[in-house]
Amino acid sequence: MEQDEKRRNFLKYLGASSVVVGTIGQGVLAEEQAQTSNESKKPHYGMIFDQNKCVGCTECEVSCHKVNAVPQGQARLYVQNKTDPKTPMEKRYVRVSCQQCEDAPCVNVCPTKACHRDEKTGIVTMNADDCIACKYCIVACPYDVRFINHETKAAENCNFCLNTNFAKKQDPACVQACKYKALVFGDLNDQDSYINQILHVKDAVRMKPTFGTKPSLRYIPVVKVGV
Amino acid sequence: MNEAIEFTVGFSHGVEWGWPIGVYLLLAGISGGALIVSLALRYYKRQVEETPLLKAASLVSFVTIVFGMVFLVGDLEKPLYFWKILINYNFKSVMSIGVLALCLYIPLTFVLVAVVFEGWIKEHLSATPLSKLFFLFPLLKALRPAVEVLAFVFAIVVCAYTGFLISVLVRFPLLNTAILPALFVVSGLSAGTAFSSLIASFFFKADAHGGDMKTLHTIEWPVMALEMLLLFMLFVSLIVGTSFDKQTAGAFSQGGYSALFWFGVVGIGFGVPLVFNFLLGKKVAHSAFAFYLSGAASVLGVLSLRLFILYAGQTFSA
Repeated sequence: MEQDEKRRNFLKYLGASSVVVGTIGQGVLAEEQAQTSNESKKPHYGMIFDQNKCVGCTECEVSCHKVNAVPQGQARLYVQNKTDPKTPMEKRYVRVSCQQCEDAPCVNVCPTKACHRDEKTGIVTMNADDCIACKYCIVACPYDVRFINHETKAAENCNFCLNTNFAKKQDPACVQACKYKALVFGDLNDQDSYINQILHVKDAVRMKPTFGTKPSLRYIPVVKVGV
Repeated sequence: MNEAIEFTVGFSHGVEWGWPIGVYLLLAGISGGALIVSLALRYYKRQVEETPLLKAASLVSFVTIVFGMVFLVGDLEKPLYFWKILINYNFKSVMSIGVLALCLYIPLTFVLVAVVFEGWIKEHLSATPLSKLFFLFPLLKALRPAVEVLAFVFAIVVCAYTGFLISVLVRFPLLNTAILPALFVVSGLSAGTAFSSLIASFFFKADAHGGDMKTLHTIEWPVMALEMLLLFMLFVSLIVGTSFDKQTAGAFSQGGYSALFWFGVVGIGFGVPLVFNFLLGKKVAHSAFAFYLSGAASVLGVLSLRLFILYAGQTFSA
């Protein structure tokens, strides 16, 4: 008899708790959906570097320096020659610049929020006035693509020319300067954008994906076909 | 494919956080460690008087953390803008959390010094304008138990945060480990113990081989053993890890920083105190010379440890 009572109570609580937990779950789910639909309205800017097209002319570097007033001897963008010395005729170049991570360590560690995500565009950028140059973002960056600008004494990174060309509704300086169309800039959240059309038909990789920071830069590597 | 597409250069200059940060890490460790040990001893022994150790430790914790701030701010490229860090907070940032902890910890150590040195202050500063503030002493006395508990807690927080501060740097296998905060707390204890017992004995006439000093002397060895164990664990986690981890394990065997480790951390930090206290006989072990030398060696060893972790850590990147 007593057993029976216990079992009945148990079932009663089980029923009640499942209703409660279920509703909470539903609520969380609805919230998540609302968030993602909100996010999809926001742009997510990304860039493709196509190694097959890059010839290593470094016009992008020059243009970046000029447009963003980067001091001499410093760079937001660098083209590294990764040609294998054993096969000197097979040229390989690679773009070195901020990877515009979706989960950016620099934004997370900045104590003054000087390094932040631009509200409108979602681009990781700097508020040089609030930067105290503690260099935490520089050591926290998995890609080592940040530096202290000698002139402004503030940390800096490639922000897709947010304050220069982007403000004038133009493509970033490097994209404009590239004669070989090795660079493509666009909104990854816009399904019709050119950058997405390319990503649909070509295999692209992210740099050091194991760091888990979800970079927005995609690289199309040279692949040897047919052996 | 990956080798030709992954870039291998960066925009930083190798070691971006240099020796001023290393010295700060040492000073923060000494400050926190000294307070933790002296207050723990006070609770454990139910002391009510102002012992030489407590006098020394409260003074040491306040002075070292203030000097630490000088090094910390001095390392900024824009030192005059350091106040920006006090008005902007990012609770995802360990540095921000640390600043908040320091904002509470430093005043606490100051209050503790004032309370512990009440007698001295009343004796020596009564002729100065500061005597107008003496009416605060009864209030401070009432708050003392709370101040001590908070100072104890925040001393641990400050020691641990310095470890978390650099353990979040994912690029560096030597730094990006779970052991680092523990290692920093333990080595902080060891440096704090050594430094405050030197001060207690030299300035406050503590008996170097009796009372609190004797207790500290017995605590010293298990703490050192724990430090060795943590370093060993760190090393093992590297040699059994990824290719980047294995490469980083080379920090212990090659280059200038490995010399810093074996001479500074192991030779001076562990070797000198062990040799002078156990190998050269009781007469040497009980001499004042051995007491001061092994204390200084402990502090120097912890400085070497912080510098080794910082420099070797930033040299080997994934």
